[in-house]
Amino acid sequence: MLISVTNARLSIGGSPILEEVNLHMDEGEIYGLLGPNGAGKSSTLSLLTALRQRDGGELSVMGYDPTVEPGIVKRRLGVLAENAGFYGWMSAPEYLRWFAELYGRETTRHEVGDLLIRVGLDPDNAAPIGVWSRGMKQRLGLARALVNEPALLILDEPTNGLDPQGRREIHDLLLDLNRRQGVGILFCTHILDDVTRLCSRIGIIHQGRTVLEGETGALTCTNPNETRYRLSVATPLAGKMLLPDGMTLIEGVGLSYVLALKNHLAPEICWRMLMASGWEIVEIRREERSLEDVYIAAVKGESHDSGHIDN
Amino acid sequence: MTPVISIINKESGELVRSGRGLVWLTAIALVLSGFSLLLVGNTELSLLDNAQAVYMMMGTVTALGCLLAVALGSDAVAGERERGTLIPLLVTPLSKDMILTGKMGGLAVSWLIIYLISLPYLWAVGSSGQNLLPAVIYLALLGTPVVLGFGFYALILSARMASVRSALATSLITLIFLGAPLVLGPGLRQSQIGKIFDMVNPFAAALNSFDSVVIDSQPPGDQAFRLAIVLIWLILTAWGARRAMRSLQP
Repeated sequence: MLISVTNARLSIGGSPILEEVNLHMDEGEIYGLLGPNGAGKSSTLSLLTALRQRDGGELSVMGYDPTVEPGIVKRRLGVLAENAGFYGWMSAPEYLRWFAELYGRETTRHEVGDLLIRVGLDPDNAAPIGVWSRGMKQRLGLARALVNEPALLILDEPTNGLDPQGRREIHDLLLDLNRRQGVGILFCTHILDDVTRLCSRIGIIHQGRTVLEGETGALTCTNPNETRYRLSVATPLAGKMLLPDGMTLIEGVGLSYVLALKNHLAPEICWRMLMASGWEIVEIRREERSLEDVYIAAVKGESHDSGHIDN
Repeated sequence: MTPVISIINKESGELVRSGRGLVWLTAIALVLSGFSLLLVGNTELSLLDNAQAVYMMMGTVTALGCLLAVALGSDAVAGERERGTLIPLLVTPLSKDMILTGKMGGLAVSWLIIYLISLPYLWAVGSSGQNLLPAVIYLALLGTPVVLGFGFYALILSARMASVRSALATSLITLIFLGAPLVLGPGLRQSQIGKIFDMVNPFAAALNSFDSVVIDSQPPGDQAFRLAIVLIWLILTAWGARRAMRSLQP
């Protein structure tokens, strides 16, 4: 397991910030950490990056406790903090070379150029970073996080300040890093589209506690034991509907019906049975909850028939 | 290149290459130029003897070094925090001790630059006298720990306070407080409180030592107590800075 956090607690200045945080991320996963402002996401990242020490709970990053072995963890970690800054008087290649030296790495001009190209920046741009746009700085921050060829990337709002094309490019870069080099990626974001596109697993933190954690696919289904379908029919159904065992009517409005099928049922056979009993089916779509629904329900503390914390 | 040397290079490079650093160096050169002209003029008019002119130049260089140390020390942590560069620095494998060493190494290089800049001015005001060599040696020997001590002191405040502005203001007030009795005149210094204050004040210890060696031509052995005061100041502030860095929160 790349990251394992179990019941982590953290107080700052006597105030409890994290009370029961759980986070479990396997090798090669892209994990999205979600939560409202002030929920404790950045504080959780500060525990993982050894910037703060927990008051309780268990914590392991790449097999090491960041409190006990901060040097080993940090050496294999790439971090992009929220609103991360730079030394405005340096040029980007100069800054990256300097930052690599802090990891004890000597980089060539060519290597730094390649890194800048990977994040979509001009390697020959000698202008001081101080005059760069926010989006360019965000890309440079990502290059900085990659300078030590990390096994785990921790990114806080990595697509902040980027235009849609820039966001897509960063998505592609992260997916490429994850798929080709097996880099695990944990990132905090408010942009649910980022999570939908990238994350295989999510965790939601609210008021210092993990309120939901699991596979993105499983969480956006309403129940892991069943699948929901929205059926459109040509004419309204009259009278009481008889449904086969394992099939439940969730909702029926006008010409549209939502049915839940137990996973052991073969959908094609069910549709045939319905058509034989008078359903004039014109369209069948798999019904999934959006990530936004999942997020809002979790933060509001609503019960979930599929959401769970799997420690 | 070791990471600590990389930080030293960056810190001192900032003084030479950044706009802020160039303003500092230009200001220092202008102050020293103006002051040395004044001193040479006074010496020519026999208003000051040569040793007094050298002593005053040494005090000015030390004060400028302390000012620079206070500015760099105040910026060392709070400035990084304000710029958003503190967290990137803290998530590297460098220990906080290494970061502190790098920062203070940068300050030492910056002080060295000021010291080297001041040498021609010291020569200009003191070349016709006998005490130029002791002045050059004592400026390095006592000026360096005083300046570094102020750097450490400002860094402690920088690590504890939320902004550069508040760390800088507090450090400057301390510097003025320690330097004021010397500027305000001998009356206060002759009182009992003034004498005690003079004895434990590192800034005063350095300047009194310059006075004794350059003006009164006392032997170096007589300066051991003052040198000890200055070194204690350096050790205490370095210890405080190390503690402040170790408990540093992002």
